[in-house]
Amino acid sequence: MNKKAAVGNKRIIASTHVKLGQKNKKGQTYTDPNRFFFETPGTANFLTGSEVIREAIKRASIDMSVAYPITPQSEAAALIGELYAEGYMGDYFRGESEFAVMSQCAGAAFGGARVFTTTAGPGTMRAFENFPMWAGARLPIQVCVTCRGINSPLSIQPDTLELYFLLETGMLIWHAETAQDLFDFILKGFVVAEQPDVHLPIAVCCDGFFVTHTKDTVMLPPDDVCLPPYDPYKSPVVCMDMECPPVRTMRDPFVMKSNYISYAAHATWQQEMRAACDRSRKHTISLLDGLIDAENTDREILIVASGTAVSQGREAIRLLEQEGVKVGLVKIKSLRPFPTQEVREATKNAKHIFVPEFNMAGWLAREVQAVIPDNHRVVAGPRVGGGMTLPSEVIVEEIKKRLGMKVATLASRGS
Amino acid sequence: MSKEKIQICEDLYDIMPPEYQDMVENATYGKEGRGWKDIGESKELIEQHSLCAGCPEAIAFRYVLASLPNPENTVMVGSTGCTSLVFPHVAVHNIHSLFGNQNAVASGLARALKVRFPDVQKDVVVLAGDGATVDIGLDMTMQSWFRGEKFTTICFDNELYANTGGQESGLMQKGFVAKMAPVGKLFDKVRLPEIAREAGCHYVACLTVSKPQRVEKALRNAIFVAREFGPTYIQLYTPCILEIGKQSMEGLDEMKSAETVGGRFVFKEYMTDAVKDFLADLEAKEKAQKKTAKKPVTA
Amino acid sequence: MSEYKVLPGPEAYLPPSAASMGITLPDPGEALIEGRIVPEDEAIEYAARKLLSAKVPTIFPGPQVLWKWDEMAPKIAKALRELAVILPARLIPMADYRPKYPKIDPAVEINPNHPNLTIWHNKIDVCMFVGVHCHLSGMGLKMIRGGTDCYTIAMCLMAGHEDACISVRDTTDEKIRKLIDAVKKLKAQGVKSQALPFTQFKHDYKSVKE
Repeated sequence: MNKKAAVGNKRIIASTHVKLGQKNKKGQTYTDPNRFFFETPGTANFLTGSEVIREAIKRASIDMSVAYPITPQSEAAALIGELYAEGYMGDYFRGESEFAVMSQCAGAAFGGARVFTTTAGPGTMRAFENFPMWAGARLPIQVCVTCRGINSPLSIQPDTLELYFLLETGMLIWHAETAQDLFDFILKGFVVAEQPDVHLPIAVCCDGFFVTHTKDTVMLPPDDVCLPPYDPYKSPVVCMDMECPPVRTMRDPFVMKSNYISYAAHATWQQEMRAACDRSRKHTISLLDGLIDAENTDREILIVASGTAVSQGREAIRLLEQEGVKVGLVKIKSLRPFPTQEVREATKNAKHIFVPEFNMAGWLAREVQAVIPDNHRVVAGPRVGGGMTLPSEVIVEEIKKRLGMKVATLASRGS
Repeated sequence: MSKEKIQICEDLYDIMPPEYQDMVENATYGKEGRGWKDIGESKELIEQHSLCAGCPEAIAFRYVLASLPNPENTVMVGSTGCTSLVFPHVAVHNIHSLFGNQNAVASGLARALKVRFPDVQKDVVVLAGDGATVDIGLDMTMQSWFRGEKFTTICFDNELYANTGGQESGLMQKGFVAKMAPVGKLFDKVRLPEIAREAGCHYVACLTVSKPQRVEKALRNAIFVAREFGPTYIQLYTPCILEIGKQSMEGLDEMKSAETVGGRFVFKEYMTDAVKDFLADLEAKEKAQKKTAKKPVTA
Repeated sequence: MSEYKVLPGPEAYLPPSAASMGITLPDPGEALIEGRIVPEDEAIEYAARKLLSAKVPTIFPGPQVLWKWDEMAPKIAKALRELAVILPARLIPMADYRPKYPKIDPAVEINPNHPNLTIWHNKIDVCMFVGVHCHLSGMGLKMIRGGTDCYTIAMCLMAGHEDACISVRDTTDEKIRKLIDAVKKLKAQGVKSQALPFTQFKHDYKSVKE
């Protein structure tokens, strides 16, 4: 019998080619991730999400970052540039477009570097051809996606529609709710994505503005510790630096030819990359304490959400509690791999499952509907789009309506 | 990688395919002054290819690989097209990721290698077709030049999209009737060598591959200049005999006629004054070296 | 918890990856037998038994152990040669990963993009991957399970392979030597190699040239 990865079994293996305890040129000590994440005491800081990205990257031992301006990630990308100027990474530059930036990140990752970049909304879409290429090439690049509207007319406000497009790229996709999540996910994301059995790109996503531009209290470990660096020879593929065999290597050769042998190779390649995504579960569970957080899942009404919709859901639960309505909460942290078993388990008692979302497509509702039995229990909403805010009261209203309770609509209140 | 690392473990040597035994014993990794003349005398870095019989691109590829000054520390970047059918069989690490992004990939790669190996000269060489270099990838080609990225860009110019079946490209000559140019191409061949010069390339050469020593010289110049100064660009005419209706044996004639006076590929070179001095210096040094090498060994 | 068993095929036109069926990789000190997590020593001994019971036991050394690129590679290569002699087993290299079909000679080489050709051609019933980069061995192992009845063993230098019938992780020369010891021990107990007579294929490019 195969065993289940245990939550709380916090041991993760990281690269050891550089001796732990050694200092980098900025005087930071390479620290075992288990110690870094679970034993290093933190202090409270009041920071914007962009500043939190800077603080994470300061401790992430990255080799390179490539930047391009697009709201709402520009500030974070510029702050990383300041870290470069201070000597925290080997190289940093502004690319010419997101498509080029993601290709530049690919080049650096092919060459064995730990790479970080950020993008948002239309930038994500401009870059898109690169993401499935990254995954197929098993490049463990991290991109922080600060979600923003993508449809015309232009919007710089948060909207998570771009995440729907990212889901099937083969990348790991994590969705941060808060600035603290963002800090933790970025650092833990490198450790999981670079595992030799995973070795996939990871998108650490957050909702633009709500997370990037608001200030929040975040616990940070001291800045004189950092992650161990990436070991490009603990990779499931050949690093393109002419330092490892075989020298006769193209990354990646075309296996397509019109015959069964080649079809099978291509299909198996696709399977292997998805298998790698599944393998990340074990590591993610021990680092993030599970792919989901569940609260009061014995209740008949549940909110299932990701990103800041979780925070809005939490507030809605508090408001409903005042009226005697008890609601449970499932926060999905990892969208890829999707926590199929966890969501099934957490929703088994629920009669009504509400999925509030910051996008018109309702992709999370579809994901939940696709994996649970009796999926008529899922209420796909409430939803907003184009950056419109989703007040907790709207979630309350939706739940009360479904329960047949009397509601005064928020929109009728006036300003 | 030092030449010493391209070795087979003794205990498993005898089971290795002969092509690899041959490679570790007779390839010219680490050989000072390697060049096109090694072809036929030593193991080539290109094992096989699936290009058309007589394709000038195949011979161009062999000259390029034979002329890399430092293949044991060279990483190449390609793009989608006929070249990417050859690259799997090339004994130098090489990357294909998407169509047209080769100079962006090379920018990231060259910088990463510089960060990881600050004390080793790692050469990055882009080799892509004209569609990838001039049409879909022009933005990234030029931006890498603007940024002064220190690597060499080689364009195999066959004046059309060959691998997809002969469509119009920016480097196609005006008036040529092709797929997607049903009434003939309506605008001039893009003047990429001149664009390269203006965009910041320190050394530019445009030629055919009819004369191997010329290809060798241009490539070595380009790589040495890229190490010291910044971006360099070489455009090589490698006609697609299939799409212009030539026979297998007519590739060489086609190149020769294209490089005669008034032709599209008369040999030309652009370089900055500093590069001119640098190359003259280099040539003088090489000559002196050859002279000493020729002296009989006394002692 | 998964009920899926990683057994020799031919399993399907396109069998699922074991990871997608819920098989997880072992932690250090552990190994996999047919999808079950077991102590590593148990898997090594079971691998020895499987190799001895095979008619055409074959070791596929990959680039990470064929090429003398780091300190570990020649040590593992040496141990592999000893293992091949003592079993005895054929040694067929996976020299690189470029797709070679249809130009491959399946008698003397294996390729991750079409490993089944080599298995079929040589009628290999038990094989062992060592030193193949994980993405490529993952592909190769699954294609072998999909289209052949070969029993697969993966001595992985990194985290192991769910798609192999037996998989050991963090392989070093010492672990190969443990396998050699296990073979010796079984032989001492009277277990005989079932390998059909064969001559180890030796390439000599000089004779090819002359």
